[in-house]
Amino acid sequence: MNTAINAKNLSHSFGEDLVLDNISFQVPLKDFFIVIGPNGSGKTTLMKIISGILKPQKGRLEILNRTIDQYQRKALARTIAFVPQMLAVDFPFTVFEMVLMGRSPYLGILGLEAEKDMEIARQAIAFTGMENLAHRKLDQLSGGEQQRVFIARAICQEPDVILLDEPTASLDLAYQVRIMDLMERLKNEKDITIVMVSHDVNLAAMYADHLLLLHNGQVLCQGLPDEVLTYKTLEEAYGCTLLVDESPLGNFPRVTLVPKKYMNKE
Amino acid sequence: MIKLQYITIAFTIAILLFVFIITSSDAKTAIDQLGRHVTVPENPERIVSLAPSITEIVFALDQGYRLKGVTTYSDFPSEADKLPKVGSYVQLDLEKIVALKPDLCIAIKDGNPIAVARRLESLKIPVYAVNPRNLETVMQTVQEIGGLLNVEEKADKLVQSMNHRIQKVKSLVAKTAYRPRVFFQIGVSPIVSVGTHTFSHELIVLAGGKNVAQGPIAYPRYSIEQVLALSPEVIIITSMARAAVFKQIKDEWNRWPNMPAVRNHRIFVEDSNLFDRPTPRLVDGLELMVRLIHPELFEGTQ
Amino acid sequence: MITAKPVLLKRLMIITFLLLMALMAVMFLGLSLGPTHSSMRTVLQTIFGTYASDAMLHTIIWQIRLPRVLLSALVGAALSVGGLVFQALLRNPLAEPYILGISGGAAIGAIIGILMGFSRFPGVSLTAFIGSIATLILILAMSSGQTILKKDALLLSGVMVNAFCAAVIMFLISMTQDSRLHNIIFWLMGDLSLGDMRQVGILAAILLPCFFLVFWLSNPMNLLLMGKELAQTMGVNIKLVTVTLLVATSFMVSATVSYCGLVGFVGLVMPHLLRLVFGPDHRVLVPACVLGGGTYMVVCDILARTLPKQGEIPAGVITAMIGAPLFIYLLKRSAK
Repeated sequence: MNTAINAKNLSHSFGEDLVLDNISFQVPLKDFFIVIGPNGSGKTTLMKIISGILKPQKGRLEILNRTIDQYQRKALARTIAFVPQMLAVDFPFTVFEMVLMGRSPYLGILGLEAEKDMEIARQAIAFTGMENLAHRKLDQLSGGEQQRVFIARAICQEPDVILLDEPTASLDLAYQVRIMDLMERLKNEKDITIVMVSHDVNLAAMYADHLLLLHNGQVLCQGLPDEVLTYKTLEEAYGCTLLVDESPLGNFPRVTLVPKKYMNKE
Repeated sequence: MIKLQYITIAFTIAILLFVFIITSSDAKTAIDQLGRHVTVPENPERIVSLAPSITEIVFALDQGYRLKGVTTYSDFPSEADKLPKVGSYVQLDLEKIVALKPDLCIAIKDGNPIAVARRLESLKIPVYAVNPRNLETVMQTVQEIGGLLNVEEKADKLVQSMNHRIQKVKSLVAKTAYRPRVFFQIGVSPIVSVGTHTFSHELIVLAGGKNVAQGPIAYPRYSIEQVLALSPEVIIITSMARAAVFKQIKDEWNRWPNMPAVRNHRIFVEDSNLFDRPTPRLVDGLELMVRLIHPELFEGTQ
Repeated sequence: MITAKPVLLKRLMIITFLLLMALMAVMFLGLSLGPTHSSMRTVLQTIFGTYASDAMLHTIIWQIRLPRVLLSALVGAALSVGGLVFQALLRNPLAEPYILGISGGAAIGAIIGILMGFSRFPGVSLTAFIGSIATLILILAMSSGQTILKKDALLLSGVMVNAFCAAVIMFLISMTQDSRLHNIIFWLMGDLSLGDMRQVGILAAILLPCFFLVFWLSNPMNLLLMGKELAQTMGVNIKLVTVTLLVATSFMVSATVSYCGLVGFVGLVMPHLLRLVFGPDHRVLVPACVLGGGTYMVVCDILARTLPKQGEIPAGVITAMIGAPLFIYLLKRSAK
């Protein structure tokens, strides 16, 4: 069976801290896979391991049916692209230059781009709707616009998988939906598998094909949104009272926070 | 027959000697004060002096007309001031020196950068180095420079006169057993004096004084307190500052009337060049210093 | 529609050509100017060998001015590239080539050499070089244990070591009263006057391979600016690139400093200046720093030699006096 990502018994510690404990999951090809869980549950560490930044101390990770060790650095970069959460950019690159950097895994040591690379960059910018911003300096853009630049760059890597680390955190509501829609388009139009870490459970419910709920470094639950997003699992993971019902917008769960003042004695 | 053989041999030797002299007559090898073998011209016509003291010595030997370039502070005698300048003796301007087309450069060990001397030599300009550290080596320097310039007689006369004057001072000083405590101040802020391995110290001792700052450190520093503790009877200040600053320094010391030097009004301000330049003028400095330290030896004579 | 900028290669060649012309021009100027005045025509003739009679002018131009001009160009290039690399590696616009303790260590080494009576070459150069490499190793050792905020760890160690060295230097200076004090001060302010062709040749042999190595790594440097982790996901071998750049650049800057003392300001300002003009792409900036930095230093050296009536102004003074206003002006213009 062809999976995009196949993780088996991944464990990792930082010093004495066991951050990931025996994690196993599978991400099918062309899936919209979202990892949720509270802060400190190990989401970011998991992202770093999948993207190849960290080597897991225990366990086995397969990307497209090959273990991650088997990939050369550049070959891995052509397979998985990583979009960071927020980046402080000190140096004044333009949008176009930044997106073009996404072609590096395909270029020689000096990275001299050919016309083909320029064309791919142009298309990526068009796909993310950044045409009229192409020659602006990065530090002149808003948070949401910068995020799209990094996504466009990831697209240039022509990857099979795009990893995103909390892409909607600190974005305006409008942008949050735009980014998620963009991801869906990437999945449908370009056959890219999307793997995302999110803190927004409701957005995850609306877009994910599969969910992975982490808690204290362990897999609490994984599967379809309906299976994972129950009030029992969520309360155990997030440690607060939650109300889970069906969203009026469609056939997926809706999660609502229940502050103390609204709790009735049940 | 035998006579003919002898004549032939003598003649051959004479020819050989003659040839030898001819071919080596425009240059000779000298050994300078750093032990270096330097090929110097027989009769240097275009000399560049790389230190003010060397300029003074060359002029003292009446050979100033052979100097084509001097360093910036070559201010004595006044004729030297008019000569082209090649930078200061610690920062020499290589290009200016070369432009003067010298056939000999005379350098001083304490101060001239060795790198410049080497560059000059690599450009085929001979550099003769001297290293005067006390009165005796100063006189040696005078004689060596005299030898370089072929004025050995003048040099000998100058050295003789220097020795004579030094002897006079020595015999004068021998008349008294007491050595006043002398503080020789060369720096104002901070206060700096002179240790044993300096010209000034040698002069103080010859002039019948006791250098309170003597010791292994060449230029030791003092706080006002430390000087007061030494209780000097004579303070000689040499500084390149202006007259107004001199008054300031005197006033500063006059705040301590318990100091013997202040009580007896024996604070003097003098030209530093007489006491720290390795030239014949050191003897002038010596004579001046005797008058300052032992004025009682001059009462009656004037 | 987006119009793409000219392909990088074309842009690179244009910029390289322009800067090379600028460098040649100022080098010619440097050969013609000096305390011995001669017309440009005679200089041209001497260079091209048609002016046979004045051996002295020939000596002055080839043996005195040429090594000096070449040394200035090499020093300006090395310091500018050094600053550029450290700004990229440490992701800090305030980084400059001396930041990792190189200046402090070299200065202490040089002062010890001068106090021990060595001459500039090879004695003091060697002690300066050893001093800077020793401090570099010290700093690497000090910051190797920390994994978090690694780039700041390196920077902080460097700043602290430099501060400590500054104290030691001031102590050594205060203890020196004789003429060696002059030598020390000149070294600290940067002194381009004491090289001959052979020494310049040695420095060039050391620096040119370093320039090429850095140029070769200029695309990874672009990627490094996004952060080590992100660069890694783009296919960059972080460890190898960082270590190579660090070692090559430190070596390059140490060699430069041991030749001419601490010429300041060039390494901080030139990368920023060139970035304002040519953009942040290192593939263009590295050659620009080599040629542009060299040009700048040759100009500063010319001014240092020709402005004062007596002696010369230290190179570091001129680089600051020109560089600061120039930079402020360009900054203001780009803000509009």
